[in-house]
Parts: sequence; C-alpha cells; structure tokens
Amino acid sequence: MKRKLLSVVLCAAMTASLLAGCGNNSGSSNNNADNKANNSADNKVDDSEDNNVADTENNEAPSGPAASDETVVLRVWAAEEDQNLTNELVNKFKEANPDQEFDITVGVESEANAKDDILVDPEAAADVFAFASDQIIDLVNAKVLQPVQDVDTITSSNVAGAVEAASVDGTLYAYPFSADNGYFLFYDSNIISDEQVKTWDGILEACGAAGKKAGMVFASGWYNAGFFFGAGFTSELNADGSTKIDWNGTSSTGIKGTDVAQGMLDIAKNPAFLPITDGDTANQIATGTLGAIVSGTWDAEAAQTAFGDGYRATVLPTFTVAGEQVQQGSVAGYKFIGVNANSQQVGWAMELAKFLTNEESQLERFSQRGIGPSNSAVAESEEVKANPALAAVTEQNGKFGVVQMAGGSYWDPSKSFGEIIAQGNPDGTDLQTLLDNVVEAVAQPTIAE
Amino acid sequence: MTGSRKIIRTIIHHLILAILAVVWLVPIFWLVVTSFSGYDGMNTSRFFPATWSIRNYSRILFESDTVSQFPVWFKNTLIIAIFVCLISTCFVLMIAYVMSCMRFKGRKALMNIAVMLQLFPGFLSMIAIYFILKSINLTNSHIGMIFVYSGGAGLGYLVAKGFFDTIPTSLREAAYLEGASEARTFLTIVLPLSRPIIVYTVISSFLVPWTDFVFAKIILNSGISTDWTVAIGLYNMLNRTLIPTYFSRFCAGGVLVGIPIGILFVIMQKFYVEGITGGSVKG
Repeated sequence: MKRKLLSVVLCAAMTASLLAGCGNNSGSSNNNADNKANNSADNKVDDSEDNNVADTENNEAPSGPAASDETVVLRVWAAEEDQNLTNELVNKFKEANPDQEFDITVGVESEANAKDDILVDPEAAADVFAFASDQIIDLVNAKVLQPVQDVDTITSSNVAGAVEAASVDGTLYAYPFSADNGYFLFYDSNIISDEQVKTWDGILEACGAAGKKAGMVFASGWYNAGFFFGAGFTSELNADGSTKIDWNGTSSTGIKGTDVAQGMLDIAKNPAFLPITDGDTANQIATGTLGAIVSGTWDAEAAQTAFGDGYRATVLPTFTVAGEQVQQGSVAGYKFIGVNANSQQVGWAMELAKFLTNEESQLERFSQRGIGPSNSAVAESEEVKANPALAAVTEQNGKFGVVQMAGGSYWDPSKSFGEIIAQGNPDGTDLQTLLDNVVEAVAQPTIAE
Repeated sequence: MTGSRKIIRTIIHHLILAILAVVWLVPIFWLVVTSFSGYDGMNTSRFFPATWSIRNYSRILFESDTVSQFPVWFKNTLIIAIFVCLISTCFVLMIAYVMSCMRFKGRKALMNIAVMLQLFPGFLSMIAIYFILKSINLTNSHIGMIFVYSGGAGLGYLVAKGFFDTIPTSLREAAYLEGASEARTFLTIVLPLSRPIIVYTVISSFLVPWTDFVFAKIILNSGISTDWTVAIGLYNMLNRTLIPTYFSRFCAGGVLVGIPIGILFVIMQKFYVEGITGGSVKG
C-alpha cells in the first residue's frame, strides 16, 4: 500500500513538473506553429524576463554598453570555413575591450541555412550570426533582427548596394561584410578567344570546336533569373510572401518574355551546352569536360586547377534574343552579420557585429579567405583588384547585378521552369504557357493571414 | 524434360537475386572505393577513382581541423550509444517480462496502447520534445539526448515479449515454489534462457542513437561542433562549400561508422547462434 502511494505521488510530481515546464514556455513553443501571431506573445515574455531587450528597443540611441563586472556571454555563428578567422577576430575584439570579461563561443552555421535554423527557435539561436542577403525579409518579419544603431558608420563605409540590401523599409537591419555573392563566367582562354567570350554563341561555338562544353545551372531560380533581369524584367516580393514577376509579358526595354525563354532554349539545345544541377558545379569543373562555366567565387579554386594557365574570369556574355544580343544579367548577393533581438546582451552583440564587419576585419577576411569585401575602402585596394574572380564578380554585380527579391514560393516553380528549358522543352510546351505557369505559381502567398 | 525446366528456373531465380544484390550493394561499394580515392572531392565521371590512397582515413582520424573532428564526434556518439544501449535494454526486457509473465489489471489495455503509440513515427513529437528539453535546460546536452533515445524504448517490447512467451511456464512456477521473487525469477531463470533476444535488444538499442540524425540535429542546435554526433558532423561536410574538399573524407567517415556495429555484432553473434537449446536442459 505504501509503495503504491509513493508511486502515485511520484507520478503526480513528474506530471506537474512537465506541465509547469511547458506552461512557462508556451509563448515560444507556439512560435513554430505560426510566426506572426506569436511574435507579439514572444516579445511579451522577453520583455518581462529581459529588460535589456526592452531598453534597446524603446530607446532610439542608448549609449554604448558600459563595462560591467559580470562576464558577457555571447555566441557567434559563422560559416564552417570562417571558423579560424572568426576566432581570431573574436580574440582581437576581446583585446580591444580589455575592461570587460567575455565568454564568447563560436559555433558553426552556414550562411545559406542560417534563416532555417534560426527560425526553428530564435531564442536558442546565436547572439551574432552571419547570413545571406536573401534571408533578410524573413528574418525581419520574424522579428529576429535587431536594427543597427550606428547607421551612419555602416552606411558611409560600405558600398551602396550592400547597405540597400541590408535595409528593409528604410531601416538598416544588418552589418554587411561581403559583396561577392553572385555568378559570372569562368573560362579557359586556350579554347575561347577574347572576342568569342562576349557572346553565348561564341562560347558554345568555341567549346564545340574544342570538344569541350560550356556549363551553367539552369534549374535554379537564382541562376536562370539572370537572363530575365538582363532583358529588363523584374521581380518583387509582396508582403504576403508571394513573388510578383512579369516574365510572361514585355519588359520595360521592350523585350518579350517568350523571346528570352526561346534564347535560353537555343543555348540549352546546343550540343556544346551542359546543364548542371545546383551544387554540382565544382564536381563538373573537376571532371575536365568544361571549357567555360557560369558560377561564383566558391568555384574559383576548382576552375583555376582545371583551366590551368588558361584560367580567366569575366562578366557574363550576351545571348541572342529574337536576333538581338542582350546582356545576361545576374543576381547580386551580399552577406551580413545580424544581431539576434532575443539576445541577453544586445549591446555587446551589436559591438561585436560591428567589429566583425569593420574595415580591418574585412581586409583580414579577404587576405585569409579571399572573400570579396563590402567595405568600399577594402574593395578599392590593389590586392582585391588583383584577384580575377573577385574583379569579375565586382564588375558583374556592379554593372548587371540585381538584388533579387523573391519569396519562399518562388524557388520551386522557377527551378522546374529551368529544368524544362535545360532539357530542351521535351514536351514542346508553348513557351507562353510555360511562363504563365511560372508567374502564376510564384504568386502563391507563403505567409498565412 | 522436368530436369531441364528445373535448371532454367534455378538460373532465373539466381539471376534475379544477383541483380538485386548488385542494386543494393553498388552504393555501399561506391562509398568504400571513394573513401580510398586519392583526391579530396567527388568525381562522378568514373566509378573507380583514378588514384588510390588511404590518406582520407589518416586525415579523418588524426588530422582534425575546424570542419572535421571525427574522433570527438565518434567519442560523443559512442558515449551516448553505450548509455542508451544499457538503459533501453533494461527497459525493454523488464517491460517484456512484465507483459509476458505477470498478470495484472489493465495489462491488455496497456499492451495495446503501447503498440499503438509505437506505430507513430517518433519524430512527430520532435518539436514538443525539443521545447520540453529546453524548459528543463537539457538542449545541447548529451544527457538530454540519452533521455530522448532511451525514454520511449520500452514501447518496443513486443518482440522480446513474444520470445518470453515461448519459455515454459512450468520453469517459472518451479522457481516460485522454491520461494523466488519475481525479480529473482526474471534474473536467474528467464534471462539466462533468453540470450538471443538479449543480443537482439542490445544491438537494436545501440543502433538507435548510433544512426539517428533527426533528434540529434534538433537537440544539438548551438552550432558548437565539438558537441556533435557523427551523423551531424558528417552531414555538415556535405555543405555546398565543403564538398569539394571533404567529400572523400566524408566517405571514409561513413565506412568507419560501420566498424563498432560490426564489432558488436561479431561479439554478440555467438550468443545468437547458441539460442535457447543451451539453457534449461542442463540445469
């Protein structure tokens, strides 16, 4: 009898503690179910628990964090390849603030996946994290990003495109540190002449003659949008997460969308063209079958190895649209460091983010990792200009790059559109129908309510 | 006439089996040969690598960098797996014994509920488990992971119960007559007769944490790579920017992961074969 009583009491205690645990956290556990409704609830919980956040949110310009006796605990997320560099920079940050005790740990999170992992549980995410520019809208909507306070410094020291991409509705939300995200052309100058490399027709002809191929990822809304952007088409992101594209009509420069698609189709049908799947570019370069490839700085090493002394990088070529040559555009991307609004130490987190993106840090990042800076002074330096891939991406982004605004529903339809074109439109579907379908599919809202 | 038909039939059977075997084994075989390749990245233009080397193994085992910390991950996973293996083996066997040998009110209902709960995929409760762990500060901790893996293990009692059902009731009754308690009957009568099912339980409960990715990924979310298990660490090497330099090391890691399971199985196998015949007649 006694034993039974004990077990009943134990069971009750366990259940009670579980319920209590869940109760405390109900604000954040709902967070996953839908972002919008619960952010308000979330913030309320935060406000009561953590005055620090409330303070910085209410005051427009509080004074910088004062040194305190307590150890400041911060967590930083940086890409796998940036680990050593980030640790070095963090140590320099500690040296620069000798009055304050820090406990800063550096974790691994790729910039491309940051949003997905942060939104699972923003409270558990790092205080300071790196992410790619296309994620900023979602992060701002989820109220994860703490607005930048020292706007003047950031705006004046970084290139305009990066600052623009880091701002949402006029508020600067992140600290830019890299402007090298984008694609351009790697080619082998032993096969393709300076004249031929200016057009897709020339490149395909030269590759065909040399028994090589010219490769590009068509099956990705990031790559294939470049053709449309070059022809003057646009893409906009609506508040409900849907994407508005006008590719099935006529662009501001008077080019028809179907003609652009036909131009892509002509490239795809050329036997010297090799469609590549996203993420497979380095592998394809290494096989040695390519004479030219559209890719980004991440493949610079692989391309240099494969092309040897013929290794060149340049802006994208023109392609034929209804008999005319049209410059292929591209998507310009930036990388930012953001500060988590849920951080217990928002003040110091912002200081650290600023430090990790300042001129010296960007110079260090370039010399160690070859990452193209967003800082204007570093971008103008001789060392940066001597790197062919960075020079190419800077030129491409500067002249023909577009900051792509697209919602979550954009990527799959545009990918399958690219896939159909890459396969040479096997079903012979009317191009107008194909484009209409894409435009309609990407207009699906992704945010409920 | 009938003889030749039989031969043709056998040939067809073996042909089908051979094709299936090839289909199943090719990916594993490719993983193994790629792990011995002389280059760093992936090369799908040929099946066998152009150059051979064991450098991938030496690098993944002895040359840790920020990306590849295989020995640390291996240690983490092994510790988690050993504890989970011990705890959930106890859970499973005890519950199976209770369900098979003891009679009490609500036994049928409990059994049915357990089986029905077991039918749901575990990761349905993933988010709930995450927030429960978070509220008691057990995210990013190996203890939390051990809890998660071993907590529900008892639900998988069904196979062991089926085995215990085959042990003659008279053996247990004899023990009761001599004054043995349930615990004593379980430990000294039933368990020694149940080696094959113990082996099965040990291996299957070891494999759960050893191969799991889903829970590990959601619980260990701080991004601190020294806390990771092998599954997350290796998956991380498949990052787009890392594949060109780490893919062959990923393959080597994939091969190495199989080794402890292999050892465990070899050790346990001899008990597997002995089976039930070894036990009762002797005593």
